[in-house]
Amino acid sequence: MVVEILFEEVCSLYGDGQNVHYLQATLPGAQFVHTALTDEPYFAEHTPDLIYIGAMSERIQRRVIEKLRPYTARLKELVEKDVPILATGNAGEIFCKHITYKTEETEIDGLGLVDLTVETDYFNRYNGKVLADFEGMQIVGFRSQFSFMQGDNSQNYFLQVRRGDGLNKKSKLEGFRVHNLIGTNLLGPILPLNPLFCEYFISLSGEQAEAAFKEQAMDAYRQRVREFSDPEVKF
Amino acid sequence: MKIKYFMALYVAKGAQTAMRLLGRNATFLPGKLAEKLCKNFLSYMTPPKTVIAVTGTNGKTTVSNLLTSILQDNGYSVTNNSFGSNVQAGIISALVADTKLSGKPKKDIAVLEVDERSSLRIYPYMKPDYLLCNNLMRDSIKRNAHTEFIQFIVDKALPASTKLVLNSDDLIASGLGTKGQERVYFGLEAEIPQTSQPQHIRDIVYCPRCGELLQSVYVRYNHIGRHYCPKCGLKSPVPDYCVTEIDREKNTFTLRHGEEYHTYTLINDNIVNAYNFCGAIAVLTEIGLSPEQISKGFADSKIVKTRYEQLDAGDLHITMLMAKGQNPIACARCYDYAAKVSDPDKALLLIVDDKDDNIGNSESTCWLYDCDYRALKDDSIRQIVFAGPRCKDHYLRALLAGVDAGKIRCMESAKDGANAIDTAASKHIMVLFEMYRADEAAMVKAVLKDRGERGV
Repeated sequence: MVVEILFEEVCSLYGDGQNVHYLQATLPGAQFVHTALTDEPYFAEHTPDLIYIGAMSERIQRRVIEKLRPYTARLKELVEKDVPILATGNAGEIFCKHITYKTEETEIDGLGLVDLTVETDYFNRYNGKVLADFEGMQIVGFRSQFSFMQGDNSQNYFLQVRRGDGLNKKSKLEGFRVHNLIGTNLLGPILPLNPLFCEYFISLSGEQAEAAFKEQAMDAYRQRVREFSDPEVKF
Repeated sequence: MKIKYFMALYVAKGAQTAMRLLGRNATFLPGKLAEKLCKNFLSYMTPPKTVIAVTGTNGKTTVSNLLTSILQDNGYSVTNNSFGSNVQAGIISALVADTKLSGKPKKDIAVLEVDERSSLRIYPYMKPDYLLCNNLMRDSIKRNAHTEFIQFIVDKALPASTKLVLNSDDLIASGLGTKGQERVYFGLEAEIPQTSQPQHIRDIVYCPRCGELLQSVYVRYNHIGRHYCPKCGLKSPVPDYCVTEIDREKNTFTLRHGEEYHTYTLINDNIVNAYNFCGAIAVLTEIGLSPEQISKGFADSKIVKTRYEQLDAGDLHITMLMAKGQNPIACARCYDYAAKVSDPDKALLLIVDDKDDNIGNSESTCWLYDCDYRALKDDSIRQIVFAGPRCKDHYLRALLAGVDAGKIRCMESAKDGANAIDTAASKHIMVLFEMYRADEAAMVKAVLKDRGERGV
């Protein structure tokens, strides 16, 4: 099994990098390919079983888009072949149609694989929590972002939100899912925080694995689900 | 507008007096009130002759306290906000307290600890003569986002007239000042690390000028070290003020400035503080103090007890060390420091959850995963007790870092944590506590002291 980690050296804000370590602990026999921003992506010539990319700064986001732009057709092909790709934080935004950076008054085209747009504003930081349903499981997570995705994700959302916001403050449908390309604004350690989702994500590749440190991870997960479900806990 | 300003000044001063009579801290609300009554209140204030701003992710309070203490020792009167808030309202409160009814400042110098995120609300209105920036690193996710954002904010706010005193070993902080500001650098040449390997968390990887992968001469921690770009030639600046030697036996360090070398008392042996001390000396020298004047202040100064304290109780040795919750790098530095304390059977009690974020809330634990827990694997740490509402999250995070599950315990409360330590197995107990949990830390200290004295 081959797992490709894209640009971990710069796409690991907010603890996102530990998703990689959690995958490594869960899949000790897998080969992990760490593609740096200066490398040719492994997926260009091969088909990885899983791909992961984490959150990044806005300057890096622009660079990542330019890096991946020549591979747009190949990425589209991988998406259509149902290769599981997980993009956390603002990483999912690179797959959208375009991104407007309000503070700098600039706009760039994204990779265009997802029919959504993005607006980024340095002077409006949004923080939030999410309790949501996905494929019969509850997902918990955190959000901290300058940007919001805009558009209609009613046909391709990732999470049905119970508490917290979805794509934007008016929505209860969070992120997007196109085949097995999952983009979510939940950031940080989404896999160790959600061991059941970690197992699900791996299963999309056809492999089965028990999440690492499952007992302790489930203990922490159950506590968080309990807290997030408590009406006394503010969102 | 002047009338509005004076009205706001008098109301704020009145509020300050009233609050103090009621025994309350008047370090935030008077400033908030002043700003509410008079927009851009700060811009109407007459500043002291010299304004020094201290900013950066870690070390602001230590440096501000040190600067204030040494300046006062040398006969200067100083306005300082270190015991209050470091955002706009806190800074206004400190300045209001030291402003006469005529609007004139009472003190010679202001040493202002400034939250980086508040830069835009402060520097355009109260222009600092000097700005010291210790470091810019990832901090609270919710407020500070990432270092590129913070660098952007601070840089945008800084006036061209401010002289910058910057850490030469931090390629992000040393990159501040895009308006042609005058600058000096400080850094460390002592105890050069052997490693040039990338660290767990780095906030700068590619050259900010040309985008090439940066190369490292050495790395102290995170991105602190000496780096260069093989393509465009950008490199860590040469420090004007440089710690050349640390003598841990004599508790001294030597600093070079120009051709001169001077030796100072090492108040605390954490390498992070060596940067703090060096930066403070650079500022003090820049404003005209002699090495002798500074040296005397160093000899008399101590790290504030609430931040670092050691005590003995029976056969127990207890170290209380303040850590900053939600600040992954500061917390990791504390873990690292604790691991390096030479004692083979230490116990660590970690109380680092955010206090306010767990009241009617469920704290974001993302920062735990940015914090390097690998130091906790050290064999010298015999037991680790995580105490607090997020103890299960710490447990999982520690396991992921490779810490042996057999030495970890989880307790919901700090008191239970203090009682859970096996004092027969560990005679040195290090308590790392979150800065806003000082009350619990005091309680824990009392419990451990009692256990030590009773031998249980």
